[in-house]
Amino acid sequence: MRTDGRADGRTGGHWGRFLSGFKRIVGMPDYPGYLQHMAERHPGCSVLSERAYFEAQVNARYGNGASRCC
Amino acid sequence: MDWRRYGPASGAASRPDLEQPDTEPYIKPMNRTLWVLVSAVGASAWGVIALNRGETISAAWLVLAAVGTYLVGYRFYSRFLATKVFGLDARATPAERLNNGRDYCPTTKWVLFGHHFAAIAGAGPLVGPVLAAQFGWLPSTIWIVFGVVLGGAVQDFVILFGSMRRDGKSLGQMAKDEIGPVTGLFAMIAILAIMVILLAVLALVVTNALKDSPWGIFSILCTIPIALGMGIWMRIIRPGKTIEATVAGIILLGVALVGGRYVALSPSLAPMFTHGGLTIAWGLMVYGFIASVLPVWLLLAPRDYLSTFMKIGTIVLLAVGILIVMPPLQMPALTRFIDGTGPVFAGKLFPFAFITIACGAISGFHALVSSGTTPKMIRREADARLIGYGGMLTESFVAIMALCAAAALDPGIYFSINAPLAALGGTVESAAAQIRQWGFTVTPEQLTALAASVGERSLLGRVGGAPSLAVGMAHIFSGAFGAHLMGLWYHFAIMFEALFILTTLDAGTRVGRFMLQEFLGHIWKPLGRTSWYPSNLLASGLITAAWGYFLVQGVLDPLGGINSLWPLFGISNQLLAAVALCVGTTLIIKAGKKRYAWVTILPLAWLLTVTITAGWQKIFAASPRLGFLSHARSIAEKIAAGTQDPVAGARLIWNDRLDAALAGVFMIIVVALVIASVREWLAVISGRKPAVVKETPFVESAYAN
Repeated sequence: MRTDGRADGRTGGHWGRFLSGFKRIVGMPDYPGYLQHMAERHPGCSVLSERAYFEAQVNARYGNGASRCC
Repeated sequence: MDWRRYGPASGAASRPDLEQPDTEPYIKPMNRTLWVLVSAVGASAWGVIALNRGETISAAWLVLAAVGTYLVGYRFYSRFLATKVFGLDARATPAERLNNGRDYCPTTKWVLFGHHFAAIAGAGPLVGPVLAAQFGWLPSTIWIVFGVVLGGAVQDFVILFGSMRRDGKSLGQMAKDEIGPVTGLFAMIAILAIMVILLAVLALVVTNALKDSPWGIFSILCTIPIALGMGIWMRIIRPGKTIEATVAGIILLGVALVGGRYVALSPSLAPMFTHGGLTIAWGLMVYGFIASVLPVWLLLAPRDYLSTFMKIGTIVLLAVGILIVMPPLQMPALTRFIDGTGPVFAGKLFPFAFITIACGAISGFHALVSSGTTPKMIRREADARLIGYGGMLTESFVAIMALCAAAALDPGIYFSINAPLAALGGTVESAAAQIRQWGFTVTPEQLTALAASVGERSLLGRVGGAPSLAVGMAHIFSGAFGAHLMGLWYHFAIMFEALFILTTLDAGTRVGRFMLQEFLGHIWKPLGRTSWYPSNLLASGLITAAWGYFLVQGVLDPLGGINSLWPLFGISNQLLAAVALCVGTTLIIKAGKKRYAWVTILPLAWLLTVTITAGWQKIFAASPRLGFLSHARSIAEKIAAGTQDPVAGARLIWNDRLDAALAGVFMIIVVALVIASVREWLAVISGRKPAVVKETPFVESAYAN
């Protein structure tokens, strides 16, 4: 089960890490992170296309009302 | 910074490589020197603040005092909470156990800190301190700093902790599971009612900032097609390419901002974008309704990306600006308005300073975020301390900066923007005369020059906090990054506030719609189906009508609306915080830690004192400026005497009674919740009920570092 601390979707390289972190802070879907997660945790399973992943993530985040503050 | 130790292992897990919360506080000698230094700097800053009464001091002292106190509070108090009270340990978090690469997803702690902060920060901590500045900057500073260390951050942390131990359950679910089903239902009703008031008051803030401002209206209107374009780009043209769409969106926002200036100067275009409050209010309602029934990818998601980016960027910019300029605080430390006669809102320092500041010190809404997406993303239990407690400290720092921006304004200017037009009269001459009566000096020429410098015809009576904050920010930005751009900075600040308030209108209407559909589903099943379009339209329409009603009444209110709506919002927000603290106390007592229950009971007791007093005064106070019911009576007398138009008067009376009823309902719900909680606590403490928490069972974490 060990994922070596990289389960948070960081792909290699400083730029990749920066983009991944930025996307997560803003709440954007992180497709490279998702691909890495699938490769590490569910190897051999079929993965969503970038478009399908985007839709699923956006609906999950905002679909039932994003929690929001004053 | 990570100050945790690798102490001797204790309890179930004993792997030496696992980080264990230590049992005894232990500080290395070098760190001890550092912390003595930090405490000394913070304490001397408070000393400067205390000793320089009556003289103008630099905003830097406020920033130093605040940051010093935050650091000490974080290092010592939050560590005490983490190790002794909550007992954060090496168990696997929901993100690790349920990792699905989507909502449950272990996230690096600083990234999640940013994410959580972006979710809790909004217009509240910016507007509240600006309004409360009518009492002077001292009381607000003290409450923002100490209120957050001992109350607000504790609330966020305890709810984040509770939700994290329960697979990310919401506040309402925790209230239901740990206290009782009726409590859960009451909490849901309270949340819905509070949401309506929040949306109304935020919409009113935007309305007041945009009325008769072609520059503002043009640039805000432009954000809608920009967001739509981004949405289509990210989903249809280049699916999933969020970064490039957002970069393009930000550039276009800049173009819209600069373009607004030319619209405002153009004799043919300016009238098309100049509208009164009522038109803007209706426009916001139409926008809120349509936006909340559109697919989320089209408008909500791109707008949220833009506003989150702008929010973080502007807050960083403001912090840098304040550090560069270190503006002197022109506002007195305490003004004469602590006696309750202030023009911005009625009521004495106690309890209304605490009600008005709202989110910057303690905010019930954070309990909704802390029990929403964040607990599902925490990688290790120990991270919850930085994210829950540290995130709220950062929000409080935003409130301190907003306070600095407002207090750095000349008080005469501050009151010319924030006092209602009814008090100032319609001209710069009458306003200057009135402000002189309040004991501050400002000339009509200064007021005219200020409005011209920011590209507006008039800033008189622009109540709601946003315009005066924008003027303050524009002063700081133009001082730090170049003068002669006052107008651009002012409208940048207005756009920044309006952008995320509009996002909140959209998202909040949606949240309200889902809650309403859940209720309606009990009456007639199909109404509860969120996939059924007619049900969505009906529920969205009802929620929009509810906040829209309060918005329109606020616009028509001769006193500017903020005077009655903001305290109502503050009371409701603090009461939601009381609900969260009740739940938190229950969690602590049921975990067998009753000797530490004071960490949530003390802030709870203070909040209840403040909010019940404020609610009571808003309903029953004898002064018509303060009490809803006495205001209704005074209008009735004016109608009888023939000095008030009976139709408008009847409407004002009805609204006063409605506001009074709403405040009463908030108070009754919270008192009922507190009674239910206290009965549960006593049952557990006396042993009549076993002290059992409904946590997910312990599973050891695989994250070693």
